[in-house]
Amino acid sequence: MSEIDTSQPPMSPEEQKAFQARQKQRAVIMAGLLIFLCVLFYLITIVKIGAST
Amino acid sequence: MTTASTTLHGLASAKDLFALTKPRVMSLVIFTALCGLLAAPGTIHPVLGFTAILAISLGAGASAALNQWYESDIDAVMKRTSQRPLPAGRMDRETALHFGIGLSVFSVVLMGVAINWFSAAFLAFSIFFYAVVYTIWLKRSTPQNIVIGGAAGAFPPAIGWAAVTGDVTLMPVLLFAIIFFWTPPHFWALALFVNSDYSKAGVPMMPVVAGRRSTRKQIFAYSLVLAVVAVAPFALGLTGLVYGISSIILSLVFSGLSLKVAMSETFEPEDMEAEKRLFKFSIFYLFALFATVVVDRLVMA
Repeated sequence: MSEIDTSQPPMSPEEQKAFQARQKQRAVIMAGLLIFLCVLFYLITIVKIGAST
Repeated sequence: MTTASTTLHGLASAKDLFALTKPRVMSLVIFTALCGLLAAPGTIHPVLGFTAILAISLGAGASAALNQWYESDIDAVMKRTSQRPLPAGRMDRETALHFGIGLSVFSVVLMGVAINWFSAAFLAFSIFFYAVVYTIWLKRSTPQNIVIGGAAGAFPPAIGWAAVTGDVTLMPVLLFAIIFFWTPPHFWALALFVNSDYSKAGVPMMPVVAGRRSTRKQIFAYSLVLAVVAVAPFALGLTGLVYGISSIILSLVFSGLSLKVAMSETFEPEDMEAEKRLFKFSIFYLFALFATVVVDRLVMA
């Protein structure tokens, strides 16, 4: 659970725009990394099954 | 419960998180780990080989992030490092710590699950050694700091080897020793011509504590030990002629350049041609030597 940090002054519209752009960029990269890891773990599993049979 | 970041500063950019892993240092780690993996007897499936190198690289990136988390105060006063994400104020220290620990755990678990738990334990130890023994404990307390740091940087080829064989024999120990004895002359040559920066940061780097003359003599001494260690795999019959001849020629040049540094008495960084030449050659030396280990193994096979 998160709460808003009230000790910081509110962001200006420009800062908010930059903040959201950065959030979006990080989300896109994280999605790419997760897809990459899914493929990698799938391949590792196939190789391991192949080696044990 | 956590507090949401509501400032740009609190949300590090992906570019800065990537910079935290010291990508340039990582390229050397990837290369030496790959050489260790390819030089090891036996085979590894390409997917598993790729995974092992990925885990070693992530481990190196995690060490670098933890190093920068701890050293942000030193980095801030040195020109070379003052633009890193933490001293430049583009990221908070907590983010760097969480990123470093998260990456460490992930890299070790990935290595253990996909490859073997021996190399995973080895990787965990190398991260601990760099982040705790070197960065936190010894870097600020002894002028031999870089010798200890060299040990941390010397693990990747041995881990790459262990990923294939599941153990460590004499050859990976020698590959470790090559990087271990290569680091002091490589780094002290750099420290000689950026001396002022280290003095400003209060890091007991050898030229700051023992003086330039002593450092230059130690560079030469280490280059002689390095030559012996570099030729040892050939002398002990662990490699063939390709590696033997290359290591002898490369080590002769390295020792020759180190001797020039030992005889130099320049105090002005602009005039330190011998030191700059040795520093540049040292990078080529390590790449060439490790590439030859792999070529030699392919030729012998």
